[in-house]
Amino acid sequence: MSESEEKIIEIDNVYYEYPEGIQALRGVTNYVLRGEIVAIMGENGAGKTTLIKHFNGLLKPTRGRIKVKDKDTRKTSVAELSRIVGIVFQNPDHQLFAETVFDEVAFPLRNFGFPEDVIENRVKWALNILELYQYCDKSPFMLSVGERKRLAIASVLAYDPEVIVLDEPTAGQDYLQKEKISEIIKLLKLMGKTIVLVTHDVEFVTMYVQRIIVMSQGKIIAEGPPHRVLTDYNVIRRGNLLPPQLVRISRALYGKSLLDRYDYLSVEDLSREIISKMREANGGTSSI
Amino acid sequence: MEALRAFKTIKKDSLYDRLDPRTRFFLSTVLAFLAIYSSRLDTQLIVLTCVLSLSFMAKRVRVILRGLYGSLFLLVLIFTLNFIFTPNLQGAIYALVMTLRFTTLITSFALFFNSTSPEEIGIALEGVGVPRDFSLLINMSFRFVPTLANDIQIVSDALRSRGLELEKGRLYNRIKNYVYLLVPLIIFEVRRSMMIAEALEARGYGLDVKPTRLVSLKFTWKDCLAIVLALLGTFLLYFFGFL
Amino acid sequence: MRERLVYLRDVSYRYPDSKTQTLQNINFDGYRDEIVLLIGPSGCGKSTLARIFNGLIPNFYGGQLQGEIDIAGYDPRKTPTAKFAKTVGFVFQNPENQLFFNTVERELAFGLENLGVPPAEIRKKIDEALREYGIEELRQRSPFELSSGQQQKVALASVMIMQPQILILDEPTANLDPLSALKMIGLIAKKTREHRMLTILIEHRLEIALQFATRVVVMNEGQIIADGPPLETVLKTDYIVGAPPMVQLSKKLQSSGFPVNIDKLVPEAMALEIIRKLSKGGLDERKRREDNRDR
Repeated sequence: MSESEEKIIEIDNVYYEYPEGIQALRGVTNYVLRGEIVAIMGENGAGKTTLIKHFNGLLKPTRGRIKVKDKDTRKTSVAELSRIVGIVFQNPDHQLFAETVFDEVAFPLRNFGFPEDVIENRVKWALNILELYQYCDKSPFMLSVGERKRLAIASVLAYDPEVIVLDEPTAGQDYLQKEKISEIIKLLKLMGKTIVLVTHDVEFVTMYVQRIIVMSQGKIIAEGPPHRVLTDYNVIRRGNLLPPQLVRISRALYGKSLLDRYDYLSVEDLSREIISKMREANGGTSSI
Repeated sequence: MEALRAFKTIKKDSLYDRLDPRTRFFLSTVLAFLAIYSSRLDTQLIVLTCVLSLSFMAKRVRVILRGLYGSLFLLVLIFTLNFIFTPNLQGAIYALVMTLRFTTLITSFALFFNSTSPEEIGIALEGVGVPRDFSLLINMSFRFVPTLANDIQIVSDALRSRGLELEKGRLYNRIKNYVYLLVPLIIFEVRRSMMIAEALEARGYGLDVKPTRLVSLKFTWKDCLAIVLALLGTFLLYFFGFL
Repeated sequence: MRERLVYLRDVSYRYPDSKTQTLQNINFDGYRDEIVLLIGPSGCGKSTLARIFNGLIPNFYGGQLQGEIDIAGYDPRKTPTAKFAKTVGFVFQNPENQLFFNTVERELAFGLENLGVPPAEIRKKIDEALREYGIEELRQRSPFELSSGQQQKVALASVMIMQPQILILDEPTANLDPLSALKMIGLIAKKTREHRMLTILIEHRLEIALQFATRVVVMNEGQIIADGPPLETVLKTDYIVGAPPMVQLSKKLQSSGFPVNIDKLVPEAMALEIIRKLSKGGLDERKRREDNRDR
């Protein structure tokens, strides 16, 4: 297996049952390749968050096993696994507690035993990247909702895990905040990070994600590149998702034989096709 | 854990369930009182038998016994601690009395809580004149316990994911680490309570009209009978010197 | 003649302990049978504005509220929040924080109990509500056990059972998956029409909510910067609020000289328009060729 195909996370027939008896994962087998951007999608309760909690050992499988960089998660501590897999949970308010933004980002670094001078450099670097440097000495609670979200990401980025998992990064975010998050993901990719996104935002996912895993009721029901998964209406229905708007339009046009395919995910591509068809239909003139 | 499960509310179809919650509470209180008041072994056994008979009537014997089994460790501990100081027959009897007393206390109230939903507790409190604010508070406390438990889990997950060690290490360090949970948790719950207060007002709570109640309690002859029997039983025990 | 239910003129508001104005120069008229989509970046003041409509501002939050305000005849500065409850229903973002009881039945009863409605009538209204929202089997269930979609449905029913004339919803689908969100907003639109209310909906997911709006109001930095028909208003402010993909597509087609009518903001409707244009274009083209041949 070449370097670019290294499986950094291996999921081997994993079952998970909550203490109250709920079967959240029912035989999940998959992997995450180093350097890829993967999205895990599906309805609420499908098992997405349960699955990612296995990646850093917060949950251990009741059956089957998970290996992170060849370490069995059942035999490794959460702290050790978190060093490799950094999870940014959905609600940053569940973890903020420090007096200053600096301390908030330094917290994991201190837990992992980094020397203080390295900590200072890393924290400042992470805050810079997330455009939060000016808040260094401020209280985290003074920050706006979007800024607190970026702070949570900075806090994980600072200790440089190889895999970054984002749990619903765009939930409740406005348009400008989503754009910022897209930028951050692009940047993480450039830095060579492996990124796992748990989301049900079909429009957001079409842009950077290389592979989508769709879950429903504790199982994986589909997997593949966006243009295949998001055009499979059967999968979309079972995952309680909506097809992207452009796919819906393309599908209708394809149904009338006006397009050869319906896996259009970008406005540029689809508009180009439609405009050229419109020009044809008008014998070259540009208006009707 | 199993012991706590005995306190969860399950609705059953029995004579006991058809009693007014206030009556049920009264019965549990009387039994608890008798257990506390008397130091005689035979009285403890009589009272415990009454509790078990009541559980039988309430079709909850298995639940109560399972709860007792869950608290076995605690019961053995109580017996041992009391017996250690006077390791002779008298001491053994005394230790047994203490253990039985504790058993009666938890079973009689487990029986009450197992059959009485927080709603009913709220209504019962209002029925005896407790102001609505307070009964609402009690009601919502029950309602939000699982939510709070969930939040604690979420906060600890988030902190553990950042390298906070809560599983291994010296006890002192682990306790120190749990303190890190407090700040985000408290701030989060304070915020939550603000949002709840907002929603309450938006639903008309605090309006200057007298609020009505969908369900109201009614005392029936069964309740009167139960109360009379309880008082009679107490009197008889007193009369025959068991107290 | 449209019935106006809400009237705001020159309204401004400042939170206590705040040095800046959260709202300024707010002018807003709300009418019956409207679904107003209130959008804008985080911090623009939309949640604050929403809370004026049911009196939470200034009663719950304090602060300084100025301007002319009439909400179905009430002025929030002179009327306590609880009094608004009969006329203005408010559904909050997090179902967890607006469901207070252990059974759905009690949750539905609560608002009516607060209003002093007699028990027999409460019972009748609960039966109706359970039927109307298709949640009869949930009557004795604890809200904590329900899915978030069901929870929000119960929250909506608990507010609607009080028969408000104005309904405010502050990001009601934030915790829902796309399909549940679509169903929820569809339900809200349906109820608005059935009960002839004024509904003001705060929502970020335009690709789901825009199709139901009769009007869009855009806020930024405490002011209303746009207020009008959905498509036009979103196109005007797309640099702030972000246009859904189909709107971006229509913009591109328009600028290339091929405008497509998308009054119904649903992708399938737009597709139909495109098909129509292409077929018509094809028809015109065939006719032109025929004409040329005949010449």
